[in-house]
Amino acid sequence: MLRPLIHFFLIGGLLFSAKAVSQRSRIEGPAITVRVAADATDANVEAAVGEAILLNEARRYRWDQTDPIVYTHLIRNMRFIEPDSTDDDRALFQRAVEMNMQAHDPVVRARLLYRAREALAFVPDDRMPSSAELEEHRRTHGDRFEREKRVRFQHVFLSRSKRGETLSADARDMRKQLSELGDSVPSGLGDPLPGLRPEQSATPSGVRQDYGQELAEIVEEPVIGTWRGPVSSVYGLHFIKVIAAEPAYVPALDIIGAEVRADRLGEIRKELREERMASLREAYRVQIERAP
Amino acid sequence: MPRNLLRAFCALAIAVSSLGCGKDENTSTTDELGRCADFDPLRQVYWGDTHIHTELSFDANMQGTRTSSDDAYKFARGETISLQPYNEDGTPTRMAAIDRPLDFVMLSDHAEFLGTLKVCNDPSSPGYDAQQCIDYRAAQEFSAAPGFVTDVFVRINGLLNRRPEDAAYPALCGPGDAYCLEAGMDVWGGIVSAAESAYDRSDSCSFTSFSGYEWSGNPDGRNLHRNVMFKNERVIDFPYGYFDEPDAEGLWARLLGECIDANDVCDVLTIPHNSNLSDGVYFEDKMANGEPLTREYVELRNAMEPVIEIYQHKGASECLPGAATADELCGFEVIPFSNLGTAFAERITPPDPKGFLRYAYGEGMRFEASLGTNPFQYGITAATDTHISAPGLVAEDDFKGHGGAGQPNRFLPPPPGFPDVEYLSPGGLTAVWAEENAREAIFSALRRKETFGTSGPRMAVRMFGGWDYPSDLCSAPDLVAQADAAGVPMGGTLGPQPASSAPIFVVSAMQDSTSVPLQRIQIVKGWLDGDDYQVQVFEIAGDANNGASVDLDTCELQGEGFSDLCGIWQDPDFDPGQRAYYYARVLENPSCRWTTWQCAAAAYDCTDWDYAACVERKQNRLPSDYTCDCCDPAAGLNLPFCVDVDCTDPGLLPDAQERCCHQVEPTIQERAWTSPIWYQPPS
Repeated sequence: MLRPLIHFFLIGGLLFSAKAVSQRSRIEGPAITVRVAADATDANVEAAVGEAILLNEARRYRWDQTDPIVYTHLIRNMRFIEPDSTDDDRALFQRAVEMNMQAHDPVVRARLLYRAREALAFVPDDRMPSSAELEEHRRTHGDRFEREKRVRFQHVFLSRSKRGETLSADARDMRKQLSELGDSVPSGLGDPLPGLRPEQSATPSGVRQDYGQELAEIVEEPVIGTWRGPVSSVYGLHFIKVIAAEPAYVPALDIIGAEVRADRLGEIRKELREERMASLREAYRVQIERAP
Repeated sequence: MPRNLLRAFCALAIAVSSLGCGKDENTSTTDELGRCADFDPLRQVYWGDTHIHTELSFDANMQGTRTSSDDAYKFARGETISLQPYNEDGTPTRMAAIDRPLDFVMLSDHAEFLGTLKVCNDPSSPGYDAQQCIDYRAAQEFSAAPGFVTDVFVRINGLLNRRPEDAAYPALCGPGDAYCLEAGMDVWGGIVSAAESAYDRSDSCSFTSFSGYEWSGNPDGRNLHRNVMFKNERVIDFPYGYFDEPDAEGLWARLLGECIDANDVCDVLTIPHNSNLSDGVYFEDKMANGEPLTREYVELRNAMEPVIEIYQHKGASECLPGAATADELCGFEVIPFSNLGTAFAERITPPDPKGFLRYAYGEGMRFEASLGTNPFQYGITAATDTHISAPGLVAEDDFKGHGGAGQPNRFLPPPPGFPDVEYLSPGGLTAVWAEENAREAIFSALRRKETFGTSGPRMAVRMFGGWDYPSDLCSAPDLVAQADAAGVPMGGTLGPQPASSAPIFVVSAMQDSTSVPLQRIQIVKGWLDGDDYQVQVFEIAGDANNGASVDLDTCELQGEGFSDLCGIWQDPDFDPGQRAYYYARVLENPSCRWTTWQCAAAAYDCTDWDYAACVERKQNRLPSDYTCDCCDPAAGLNLPFCVDVDCTDPGLLPDAQERCCHQVEPTIQERAWTSPIWYQPPS
């Protein structure tokens, strides 16, 4: 989402989380009753409980009566219900609250949940990741930052458009030529294509994008130093010799620091949301009522 | 313009935030050429999109886009994102994914309302309670009526249509526009920071992101928009938009003074787009003050704007049918009016040839002859201009609509018909020939114009020009090495002519491996003959009459084409005393346009459809359904002005109404346009 309301969440979030954490194991939190469907699964129940707690917290902080978006929305509702009313906004809002409209309106509910979740995920300064933490994150979550394996290979191409009916025969001749080439780079052989090089380094996914699945499979196979082919693509026939394969790797932090930081911050927000939610869950006394 | 106040904000932002400059303590700023594993001195093709809007753009935001910068980067790298419309509980109803990742991307949210959106969404902002913000938020309500949303959009976004002397931030921005300036700077910091996080600085070089934004001047509805693209993490502190600098010269002066001349690291260029919707004024022969172009002006424009967007979802800007030369391929995705404003006007003005590149190229040569520099010596790019954070979503058979100028698809239920108005299209891609997929290499390729644009498919095209190429160059396995050594690539200028020879051009192209076979390669030559400019189109490879077609009921391709083509061509009418340019156009076999794809896939019945009901839906600004969209033989422009026009016999209508009966073509020929190679006679 936009980063709107940040100042608002910042203040509200700090209050919210501090309160939630301080309550843990010291005092009993509020008691709520959560109604669920008779056939609700455990996951359904847990989701309903989580939402009920967040909505209750939002109401405890009176966001349902002080949030400007909720305020505007309820007034709009009232003007729809009472189109002839001459009351001012404040009076209409008060009447909406007296009608408990904020407890049932889906937009108010979504707004309160959104605001509560943002508050739960607020990252205070002391949770901002240090360089050491980022390095640890990079190391332990290497799969997220891993760069695809690369293959250095030689490549000779015969164009279907150019050669037409002689393509197969030309391919047989080319195979013979290549077998006699030894370790030399196949410069001067085959047909040109934009971007085609006699020797290049590429990832298998890049080869797949450029030439299709068959060529990608060939460069992925662990066969080094042997001419393979002809392999067919939409363009014609290809001969490939893999010279070297570099395994997938994780770059150093000084190279991908911004990427690691963004990933870790996302994770911290998730952790904080879960920690604070768990604290709330622990403090709350929840009664589950299944619908008959 | 409260410049002192702005400077104070800049200083404050720098002092308190690292975001303002896009810096990160863990980010290396070294980005020298040659750091990537696939470095190639002869250059490789990389695919990108340099025109992308997210929720940060006011128009996109008003249409329900809730996807962020991060979402746009994820999408570009191949991840699936969610799209509007959203259900009442906020869950999305549509998803989108690109078929192949892009190599590079620049997000280009409209600068003018970056701060406005933040102010209106931040209850702690002093502008939050301004009436415009209240209206904006009301328009965000799930139950907001389409007409109300449109009104709010027009009232705020319409500020971009004011003339330069009246350009001003919305009143909600407070005294001296302070609220929006401060908020805008903060949002810009986030944009730069997101670009930094997305950039692959490892030697894999899998993805390149550029910081950027769109300057969106639109005086009197005339589109003068430009995207601003920064080379690296060193950017200006504030994204100057139309309200800050209401003409392009002011923008360039800012960029020059605060970036290019400010230090050795910062570099920036601007990319014009949608000259087709400028009412023919994009390439005017006068400066903002009304005076004739000066040498200083043309040099600055030449330096700041090396490339132009030839095609995007709001149409192509190459050429107009019937204008200047007989070129039957100029009808590709032409928006049938001269500016977006006429969509709401009583009279639709026809497209103006002066808003198209053919005109600019001709005028540019004329200015070069008199002033010594060509102000319109543009290389070619193309883009989507997506307003749903979906860079590179160009597939005709998977068009989700790009929002922005399209239907208000934030409303539920999702429209059962087309996701965008008929005359819009998915847009295209930019390709660059660069040594590696990294900022330095790609930005340099854009600067030297070694670029081409496509209407979507990734057909790789290489073009070189020289004086002494062998006639069998197309068969040479080392074509590129030979051509590069003895000539110039696309975007270049031919060197001095050796005695009595004519320039030779070689164009090599390969089809998109997942798309349609190629049909042919053309070279478009333009030249200055005295004070007049001329254009001629030459077929140099392939077969224009190959009989390829497409089944309109199934979109199945019929007939043969070419997987790769190469042509070598020497100008038969070369006059060494005449300025000239040459660009290649590569065409695929015909395929279904997105509208045809949607109709082929939809269940609709035209045997007894209710035309009046469709008209009524349009009159009430309600989305059409497939029956309306696919059955009406003159679905046309879908403009309010056109709703009551009877298209039974368009030939009998006045011109303004006749254009309402414009029909989109059921098939298209996807294409690539290379940057030109120019020839300048000895002075």
